Amino acid sequence: MTREIRIALTGNPNVGKTTLFNALTGSRQHVGNWPGVTVEKKTGRVRRNSYEIEVVDLPGTYSLTAYSADEIIARDFLLDEKPDVVVQVVDATNLERNLYLTTQLSELQVPVVIALNMADMAEAQGDAIDLARLSAFLEIPIVRTVGTRGDGIGDLLDAAIREVKTSPHHEHTIGYGDDVEATIAMLADALSADTDLTGRYPFRWLAVKLLEGDESVLDKVRGGPALARVERILSSIDSDEYEAMMADKRYEAISAILPQVRKANVRSMSPSDMVDRVVTDRYLGIPIFLALMWGTFQLTFTAAAPFMTMIEAAVGWLVEFVAGSIEPAWLASFLGDGIIGGVGAVIVFLPNIFILFLILAFLEDSGYLARAAFIMDRPLYALGLPGKAFIPMLVGFGCNVPAIMATRSIEGEKDRLLTILVNPFMSCSARLPVYILLAGTFFPEQAGSVVFFLYVLGIAVAIASAKLFRSTILPGEVSPFVMEMPPYRIPTAITSLRHMWSRGSMYIRKAGSIILIGVLAVWALASFPLGVDYGSAGSFAGMIGHLLEPLVAPLGFDWKVAVALIFGFIAKEIVVGSLGVLYGTGEETLSSALLADPGLSAAAALALMVFVLLYTPCVAAIGVIRQETGSWKWAGFSVAYGLVVAWILAFVVGHLAGFFIGGA
Amino acid sequence: MNETKMLVFGAVLGALYIVTGLLQVLGPVIGPVPGTDLLYLTGDLFVGFVLLVIGAVFAVGARNLSRDVGEGAIFISVGILLSVLFGLVSLLALCATGLDVFLLGEGAEWSVADSIGPLLYLAVIGAVGFLAWGRETLRGLTSS
Amino acid sequence: MDDLCPLAFLSAGTEATIAKVRAGKGMQTRLFGMGFCPEARVTVQCADRGSLIVSVGDARYALSRGIAMKILVECAKAVA
Repeated sequence: MTREIRIALTGNPNVGKTTLFNALTGSRQHVGNWPGVTVEKKTGRVRRNSYEIEVVDLPGTYSLTAYSADEIIARDFLLDEKPDVVVQVVDATNLERNLYLTTQLSELQVPVVIALNMADMAEAQGDAIDLARLSAFLEIPIVRTVGTRGDGIGDLLDAAIREVKTSPHHEHTIGYGDDVEATIAMLADALSADTDLTGRYPFRWLAVKLLEGDESVLDKVRGGPALARVERILSSIDSDEYEAMMADKRYEAISAILPQVRKANVRSMSPSDMVDRVVTDRYLGIPIFLALMWGTFQLTFTAAAPFMTMIEAAVGWLVEFVAGSIEPAWLASFLGDGIIGGVGAVIVFLPNIFILFLILAFLEDSGYLARAAFIMDRPLYALGLPGKAFIPMLVGFGCNVPAIMATRSIEGEKDRLLTILVNPFMSCSARLPVYILLAGTFFPEQAGSVVFFLYVLGIAVAIASAKLFRSTILPGEVSPFVMEMPPYRIPTAITSLRHMWSRGSMYIRKAGSIILIGVLAVWALASFPLGVDYGSAGSFAGMIGHLLEPLVAPLGFDWKVAVALIFGFIAKEIVVGSLGVLYGTGEETLSSALLADPGLSAAAALALMVFVLLYTPCVAAIGVIRQETGSWKWAGFSVAYGLVVAWILAFVVGHLAGFFIGGA
Repeated sequence: MNETKMLVFGAVLGALYIVTGLLQVLGPVIGPVPGTDLLYLTGDLFVGFVLLVIGAVFAVGARNLSRDVGEGAIFISVGILLSVLFGLVSLLALCATGLDVFLLGEGAEWSVADSIGPLLYLAVIGAVGFLAWGRETLRGLTSS
Repeated sequence: MDDLCPLAFLSAGTEATIAKVRAGKGMQTRLFGMGFCPEARVTVQCADRGSLIVSVGDARYALSRGIAMKILVECAKAVA
């Protein structure tokens, strides 16, 4: 008979909890969201002996107070869902701080098993930890694990199962000193009057939290008979002072234990710190960062090239094959131009995006990106953006969808919102084919510089918008920045690939769904009403274009461009394809068709590129904005703002260019 | 880590990177400096910038070592890491471009020589430094 | 009562003991959990006009100037 056990996985951030979770559950994982918040919820299953075990991965937290969404989720889960056992993942190279969380778990009176993870790194450092002794002190079973190698997983599960079956559970408590203990006793006594709370929460824990000034615990007491007496006791103490005292006592208890269970290798300055001196050097730090960013993009574009060539060839061949061998013609068109051509336009980017994400994952897992956030904090602060904003902005050069999701790591709500709003101006890779086509056609000699100019323009607009928003709709200071700097490591290939995949798969999902629909919509609008020439002025697409023509005429665009722009709203990848459809040519001859069009001048082409750079984010991005901000308001704002900025700048650039280049 | 050897190494590489970096940057501005054809300078400003940065890291390291101020060795080590890293980037770019041209079939007008630059060949010297001192630093890095 | 100065004023290589953390409730609790507790020993690794990288215990953190100003240490006992 199989028994069901539920394990909650908790621990500080950066302790390898995710790797351990993956080692425990393998492919039997499910990723979702905690209800009501944009925090990822991971659950998985594993079998051990005759037990079916559900593992819930709680967000990483430093303590169990209630001041951030992550901590609230973790704490509420432990209190309300009452998992059978809690496995705390502890970083063996960072014992002191990790054990702080352990003391809080003990106070919650949940059954705990510790996974002493990264044991290999501790040993490599020269630290020797006496697990048996530490376990005896804490009265908690400890299992040595190395998440990256899968060591200790079996033992961990066995220990967890054993712990579930053990009772009563030991309560190792920290003594807070006579005065505090007396107050705790008073509070516990007062609380016993509230039968609602009895048995649901440990009184000692409630008392400790009340003394720390925890509002959500106070809320639990409100509406109950104990409130009056509790409030009277609390009014006589200063909760800030008490909190500091108790935190101090916890660390004191930990420092009393540590020397008896660990022989630490005395290190003067670790190599990690030494490298940091160079990398965060006041003068060299930013140049080194910029050089590495150049290297990232350079490598992305060059390494992706051969793959793109292969994909383009494959797609091209497939389209021809379909055109040649499928009857009737409309079906061939549907499959060929519509589906294959459209989806092909998207797939061609996969190498570009995945390589970029792989390199970023490598930089992130090695620990460098944390330093980069620190280095960029200063300059970004001056722009009103948080230092951590640069990661989403970098990801945005690949695709805005995972970039906006990456803003979850930013703490301040306003800071996060600001980063989300300026993100679409980071020119995503989907816009690149438009630039390549137009720049290559109209500015063959300076194509590279034109594209570069566009990217820079995007960044400039993002910066200007950030300053604008800061001084108007999102006033306030940038939230203060505290970030843990994990020691440098050489990332394992698997970890980085996993990381790359989690971001890249978002792009694939977007391609698979929205773009496919968009491409079919393009095809439909261009093919109907029946009998009309594909993509001509008589089709629905053409009619819509003519309707919008007056709006874009001042920019030098004609109805064909207007239609392409509308389709670009669905996904920027299909702009080039739509232009091909509307001009009635395939992609090879599109260049000459564009040149031949008297309605489209070089200046207008430049204006068009600027417009594509800046106007609304694609539908997928808008969807993500709505999801991450929780309202349509900001998504709508993004669309409107983008349109306005795009129109104005395209107008200015177009006319300036027209003045210098000639032709209107 | 013999300090004098490091100092010399750092000073030499620093000078090489800075000089090629300057030439690279000045190229588009002033025009190719006569006699530098052998250096395979591409006209790329950014490459020049990167060369200058690596050179600066070496230079600071050498300077610190000469003044015995401390931290000199680590600047040189980081310089070596950067040198090798960007050398690898150049190498990968070269291979990828070669593969791309091969795939396109037209042969285009590209030869291996087109993709060679100071970032690549100076990294060879950097690699020597890596073999001498780098392994220790890397090991130290990943265990702490 | 020892003279207290903000962590932000210290230079690289200095060690000090934290005396007080003067921040909002949430930030204070978080800082305690990270190790920035009164009596804790802090070493400044890198300093750049107030922004710092510090080590506390075995952990390393980057702090913006804003936060570093709110963590007060005992000046006199700071060892460079």
